[in-house]
Amino acid sequence: MSGEYLAFLTLALAAIIGGVLMLNLSKVVHMVTALVFTFISIAGLYVLLSAEFVAAVQVLIYSGAITIIMLFGIMLTRHREEDKEKTTTGGFWRKTATAIAVFAFGAAVYLGVYQLDFGEKAEHLHEKNTEQIGVALYSYYIIPFEITAVILLVALVGAIILAKKDDREAQKK
Amino acid sequence: MMEMAWIVPLFPLLSFFILLLAGKKMKEASAYVGMLATFVSFLAACAVLVDRIGASTYKAEQVWLTAGRAKWTVGFEVTALNAWMLVVVSLVSFLVHMYAKGYMRGDERFSVFYAYLGLFTFAMLGLVLSPNLLQTYMFWELVGLGSFLLIGFYFYKEEAKAAAKKAFIMTRVGDVGFFIGMILLFSQVGSFEYEDIFKAVQDGTLSPALATLTAVLIFIGAVGKSGQFPLHTWLPDAMAGPTPVSALIHAATMVAAGVYLVAALFPLFEASAVAMRTVAVVGGFTAIFAASIALVQTDIKRVLAYSTVSQLGYMMLALGSGSDVAAIFHLTTHAFFKALLFLAAGSVIHAVGTQDIEKMGGLWRKMPLTAAMFLVGALAISGVPFLSGFFSKDEILVAAWTYGYGGLFWIAVAASFFTAFYMFRLFFLVFGGKERHDVKDVHESPAVMMLPMLVLAVLAVVSGYIHTPWFGTFLGDWLTDGGYAHEATPVWIMIVAAIVSMLGIFLAWLMYGKRSLARDWLSSRVPFMYSMLWNKYYIDEFYAWTVGCAVNAISRLCYYADRFVIEGIASLIAAAVNTAASFGARVQNGQVQTYGAVAFIGLALLVVILAFTGGYL
Amino acid sequence: MSSVPLSAYLVLALILFCIGLYGALTKRNIVVVLICIELMLNAVNINLVAFAKYGAHPGITGQVFALFTIAVAAAEAAVGLAVLIALYRNRKTVHIDEIDSMKH
Repeated sequence: MSGEYLAFLTLALAAIIGGVLMLNLSKVVHMVTALVFTFISIAGLYVLLSAEFVAAVQVLIYSGAITIIMLFGIMLTRHREEDKEKTTTGGFWRKTATAIAVFAFGAAVYLGVYQLDFGEKAEHLHEKNTEQIGVALYSYYIIPFEITAVILLVALVGAIILAKKDDREAQKK
Repeated sequence: MMEMAWIVPLFPLLSFFILLLAGKKMKEASAYVGMLATFVSFLAACAVLVDRIGASTYKAEQVWLTAGRAKWTVGFEVTALNAWMLVVVSLVSFLVHMYAKGYMRGDERFSVFYAYLGLFTFAMLGLVLSPNLLQTYMFWELVGLGSFLLIGFYFYKEEAKAAAKKAFIMTRVGDVGFFIGMILLFSQVGSFEYEDIFKAVQDGTLSPALATLTAVLIFIGAVGKSGQFPLHTWLPDAMAGPTPVSALIHAATMVAAGVYLVAALFPLFEASAVAMRTVAVVGGFTAIFAASIALVQTDIKRVLAYSTVSQLGYMMLALGSGSDVAAIFHLTTHAFFKALLFLAAGSVIHAVGTQDIEKMGGLWRKMPLTAAMFLVGALAISGVPFLSGFFSKDEILVAAWTYGYGGLFWIAVAASFFTAFYMFRLFFLVFGGKERHDVKDVHESPAVMMLPMLVLAVLAVVSGYIHTPWFGTFLGDWLTDGGYAHEATPVWIMIVAAIVSMLGIFLAWLMYGKRSLARDWLSSRVPFMYSMLWNKYYIDEFYAWTVGCAVNAISRLCYYADRFVIEGIASLIAAAVNTAASFGARVQNGQVQTYGAVAFIGLALLVVILAFTGGYL
Repeated sequence: MSSVPLSAYLVLALILFCIGLYGALTKRNIVVVLICIELMLNAVNINLVAFAKYGAHPGITGQVFALFTIAVAAAEAAVGLAVLIALYRNRKTVHIDEIDSMKH
């Protein structure tokens, strides 16, 4: 029972509980909070896996930016009366079928991965992790890097255009 | 020529096809096609007849169906009987074709009429040439079809439609008997061919009991087709068709097919005394039964129809008395004088516009030639000495007496008295006395109608001389290929027949000609009997109550079974598919999550299968 | 060595993925669906980083890949929310059931 094992167990449990809570809470804002819980546990798991930089980015982006964006979405699309999240009505069969399918899928993949062991282990990931990432990023992976930058730009512009009010509408008002 | 006898039915068939295709354009010219075809047929038939003199039976056949070891053939054979029938049928058909050119003039469906006539003639000639029962049956049905088409020619008249259906269905009832008998014979003998059947009868392969059974069954078919009791009611109703049709089909040819069948299968019938007795009794009974009904009818064609039924009864009586020669003799003479009578009646109807004899009268002044023809025919059918009917009827009476049918003999004599009476009642009411009609311009028919009548009148007079005890029994020798037994004919029978005919004519003259006896001197005394005769013994009504109701009930049952059971199952299946479809359609509700769920379920299924088949696909 | 085996991480990722998938296919609010999609992407990231350490060719590549995934996920979340807002403006609802004009 090493510390690593204990840490993994705790963090894993936290992540799963966050996910399950998210599904079962009724108010959307509570759901987002549970999600944040999950994100932070995952960041901890990344640290366990010697990926400190990724952990930092996870906390920054996910539990920071994306959570805020979700909250913005909730705020801007709320009806006064209806704040609760209702599960799908009249979709009992769909829910059941989906649940069964998800379970079956999970079981099948579990059968595939539960004894997977390559026997190899990376030893030096934790030494100057950021520098290693930087080197890899700017040498081998420069092109995906640039393309990602373009993606972000495109997403930015697209989001603005999509969310913009129509000129005609603006004139009416 | 005998080898080519198969072309005799071919010409009318050709005329049928030509008229089907080009009839609409040809209109009145179709008569020439029909007449030419039947004339050529007649010439060919004469050639076959001449060729057959002195020669033996010719037969040609070809295998057309094999099943296991059984082989069925089609072909034709030329026996003495066949050759004679070919000539008679083609001659009468030709004369009727000529007559119809005048009678049916102006009709819209002129070419259709001639096409049907061609079809019918083909079928009748084919029937006569058939060497085996199966082929006979096929042509038998085809003849029935021709009759149906022609009776129902005026299809816009309800009575014509009903009469056509009645004729077809009633003869079908008889055909069931024929068919069963045929199959039974096949199962015992192993072949449909006439010669095989006759050989089996001779050898004893066919037991007497079975011979009786099959003969009676086949006779049932003849009963239907020849209008014997109890399947006779269709014949009077068939008068709804045009008069040339009545002359050809219901006097001379189709109804004679039943007589022909029994004559062709005569060795089979001779093997069974019971069958012979059945044939004779049915024939004799029908003869007097129909004659009695004809005594009081007022529709000219109906009287002639019942007369046909009665005369056919005579022919059956002859067959049952062991003399197929007498039957065929009477068939020949009857064909001529009955066709003559019908054509003359058609001439009258054409002129006066009605078929009710109460509305006719005094026509001999306006239509002397037609009257003379009718008189000749009436004299012939009544058995007045030296005309054809006298000789042929005499043969029948002699045969009945010598075979031992005492009772049937006197019944036949009584029927002969009735025959003379009603024929001359008809003559005097139509042609004699005062004019009771209101048609202004009554005139003779055109030459194209008179010429066939003339030919038939001549034949009605002279055709008796082909078989007389005085001048030579040519027909008898011919039909039996020289083996005719020339027995001494009891003269007293001839005298009795002659006296009875004269008595009948005299009584008719008293009542309807000279009017010294009141018309109802007898009928007023026995009103019950009169109404029975007038209503044809209520047989039609009886059939309607019994057979009609039973069939109606069965068909109603089937209708309900069809509507509720079968349609129910069909709609059930349709509803089931509908329901299944509506279940499936719920997936297509436009919601993204549903679509995503369905896609994912499919993926999950694939992954699970992959996992369970060891990870290899 | 009682370190945590690779399969543990993979199983954890699988569980999170399944949770996210179920939510994405079942929840009624569009925002919640988007949230669940983020959860699924996170599970994938865990897988990538785990393979970076314990996989067949351990190295830094897995982590770099995870970084890219995070970036794209962020972009996707932004665009998704923009679409949500545009949809909300048109339909005045955030219930995914009511957006079914793709029916035929």
